[in-house]
Amino acid sequence: MTTDIARIERDLQDLWKNNAVESAAAGHTTTRALTVNLLVRADTSARADEMGAVIQQLTASHPNRALVLIDRPAVGDPQIEAWVQANCLLNVLGATQICGEQITIDSRGGHAGQVVSLMLPLLVPDLPVVLWMDGPQPFDLPLLHKLRGVLNRLIVDSAGFADPLHELVMMANYEAHSMLGPKPLSLSDLNWARLTPWRELTAQFFDTRPFLPHLRRLDHVEIDYVAVGEGGLLRALMLAGWLASNLGWELQENGAVRTGDTIQFHMRRPGVGAASGDTRPVLIALRPAPSSDNALVGLSALHLRAVDNILADFSVEQTDSPTCARTVAQVAGHPTISRLARAERAGVADLLAAELRLLSRDRTFSAALQAAAECARALDT
Amino acid sequence: MRSIMHVNTAGNERLTMMAFSLPENPLRSGLRLGRTPEPCTMVIFGASGDLTSRKLVPALYNLARERRIPGGFSVVGFARRDWDDSFFRQTLLDGLNANSRSGRAEHPLWDSFADGIFYHQASFDQGEGYFGLKERLDAIDRERGTGGNRVFYLATPPESYPLIIQQLGAHGLAQSSGGGWTRIIIEKPFGHDLESARDLNAQVLSVFDESQVYRIDHYLGKETVQNLMVFRFANGIFEPIWNRSQIDHVQITVSETVGAEERGGYYDKSGAMRDMIQNHMMQLLTLTAMEPPVAYDANAVRDEKVKVLRAVRPITPADVVHSTVRGQYGPGNMGGSPVVGYRTGKGINPESQTETFVALKLFVDNWRWAGVPFYLRTGKRLPRRVSEIAVQFKTAPHLLFDDTPINDIEPNVLSMKIQPDEGITLTFSSKVPGQGQIRPVTMDFRYGSSFGVASPEAYERLLLDCMLGDGTLFTRRDEVEASWSLITPIHQGWAAGPPQPFPNYEAGDWGPTAADEFMARDGRAWRRV
Repeated sequence: MTTDIARIERDLQDLWKNNAVESAAAGHTTTRALTVNLLVRADTSARADEMGAVIQQLTASHPNRALVLIDRPAVGDPQIEAWVQANCLLNVLGATQICGEQITIDSRGGHAGQVVSLMLPLLVPDLPVVLWMDGPQPFDLPLLHKLRGVLNRLIVDSAGFADPLHELVMMANYEAHSMLGPKPLSLSDLNWARLTPWRELTAQFFDTRPFLPHLRRLDHVEIDYVAVGEGGLLRALMLAGWLASNLGWELQENGAVRTGDTIQFHMRRPGVGAASGDTRPVLIALRPAPSSDNALVGLSALHLRAVDNILADFSVEQTDSPTCARTVAQVAGHPTISRLARAERAGVADLLAAELRLLSRDRTFSAALQAAAECARALDT
Repeated sequence: MRSIMHVNTAGNERLTMMAFSLPENPLRSGLRLGRTPEPCTMVIFGASGDLTSRKLVPALYNLARERRIPGGFSVVGFARRDWDDSFFRQTLLDGLNANSRSGRAEHPLWDSFADGIFYHQASFDQGEGYFGLKERLDAIDRERGTGGNRVFYLATPPESYPLIIQQLGAHGLAQSSGGGWTRIIIEKPFGHDLESARDLNAQVLSVFDESQVYRIDHYLGKETVQNLMVFRFANGIFEPIWNRSQIDHVQITVSETVGAEERGGYYDKSGAMRDMIQNHMMQLLTLTAMEPPVAYDANAVRDEKVKVLRAVRPITPADVVHSTVRGQYGPGNMGGSPVVGYRTGKGINPESQTETFVALKLFVDNWRWAGVPFYLRTGKRLPRRVSEIAVQFKTAPHLLFDDTPINDIEPNVLSMKIQPDEGITLTFSSKVPGQGQIRPVTMDFRYGSSFGVASPEAYERLLLDCMLGDGTLFTRRDEVEASWSLITPIHQGWAAGPPQPFPNYEAGDWGPTAADEFMARDGRAWRRV
């Protein structure tokens, strides 16, 4: 069972020559552009097609050489075959095609070593190597282990984790270890990327000078998440982890409690002002909410409150519109500021593109993930 | 200005608020979008005009759409027309739907944004209008939490600027109480010569501090213009060759296909020199020629730009004949259709001597650029709309390859296209496969196709920067005056000379033949852009 690398490269060259001729006839020019080696693992042909469609959209912002591996069990003798295609998009003026290229490797029963021996020579030199895998956690897959030495970034989607809390902890452990050794590997999670509008809208409250001091006084957080499918609980956990890691909140011993459907984390935060050196309690409550077509990326509301004598209440909530959230800031001594803000539900291509713009480790994600994992571990015990 | 307020809470936590510099928001760490400005009210004088509905409000809406401005942000349109809030909002919505880069307004979002838009009917010259404005702004502070933060935008004819500024000062609107800030944005043209620019600066600064003043040149808001600094100073390979040792000359071209059209009344008093060269093209020149600033902050960058302007060898009135070319378009054809000449345009003097085309040769007399000519040209009714900076390098010192007619060894050119088709192109020589020939080839970076994201409009960046208090992309007082000090003697030289035989180029041509002769005298030629 062999597949000819040289033949694949020749097929690619022929592909470009033919493409140039056809484009010229159609009045376009073609630009072959590659900015990244994108390795993709799918476990079925149908899934590979779906991921291929995403790769095609990604060409607009990150033209790439994609190596799409369809990794399936053997039916009979193990087999590997490969074929090439161009992924082209016309630019907005309709005059120039920007093209990347895709090599699909269909492996039925090929083991990781064989498959990787086919992929490695096909990597374009001097470009980063990114592996995108979705579905259940991939951290103990032999394929990942074999590719570890060449990867710059691993992109997963924890929305597909089968055992969310347990696999979140696995992801955190993997992330912590992945930065060790001579070639650190950065980790991205598309489920975290879906939180970007929430994080921006939350952060925005505290860009306002009179409101910023209240950030350090928060002592009550409620996050309503959509409990069915799509990784809502993990998103809620990571949002909580983001707040905790940025604001210096620490989970108390035995601080993770389930009360009915609600999960509560009892934390401590640094005191403020004359009481600094002291600590104060913070309660984070994660509450399941009904599923809705307009559910804003698996969350439905975030409330932040400081409940001592100075009222400060900040919230971000889904609305009937699928693209808008309502933000409300109520602070004593200030008028209530309520408005609709755009909070789009990004497609997978946009989420991937956002992660591909990162050139190194996302320290904010790392800190949030570790804090979320600590909470998840505490729930498990 | 610094204020500190301590607030006791029941838990003995003292809440200390400092209005000196904004401390960092820890939740911003790792977010790709920078800090958003504090809620403020933007008062647009002349709000019933075109600029507001075509550019300003679409820009503000797109900023809101991208979560770049906070809740509470408000707009007050100040103008004479007998409109109300509702009519003003509808007018702005119509303008937005026609002009926004994000397409038609998304209604829940627009409706929420429009809740903060108000109209104040008043005349610029009547004091009660400003009393009323003050009351309106105070009410918005109370109801929408804008905290005394104001931006005054002068979107009016320039002759109204002194009056509005004086009225703002007289009615206590130039400074905010209660810890807020006040800024003023002034559109170009800033004066029409050196004396008027100095006068206007004096008037503005009798009411506002320089730190409050934002003189807008929308070219600086363009992504590609901002990329000039990134290109020069984030890439180590270019700086060693960016000087007189390697560069033969620089051409800066801003060509327009449109004529004076509806702006005839304004343009006939202005001309190409004031309309384009004094502001946009001087910006392009300074960004190309400047030294690396010590930091990317407003004053460090503007200091370097002013140094370039002060190093430019002045063209004296006596030199204008040799160092400048003027033109005015006559009837011709554009895009296959006939068009009329400049002098038959609306509001234009039939004997007008206003130039619609200018070419200049400038020298920057400093160690980096001594002896390198900078050729600037701009004009209306030219065949293509292009804004470009082209750096032509010296030819290889010793040509190894036979310079025969079948070899086309051109000097290397780095061209930075500001619009359209924004990007950077490097032209170099390459061997033709299979043959012994050499041809020029280009290596391109195109903004639109390389990043796959739509560039924000220039006004979006500029309005946001003003609200954030970042003056880097705005023009400073000394920069404006230094620029006028170069331009005004040229106008004086022109005025002292004989009338020009205008028109002297056809619409659709690349300017007068004198412009080509101007370059040919130096053994050079204009680029075909």
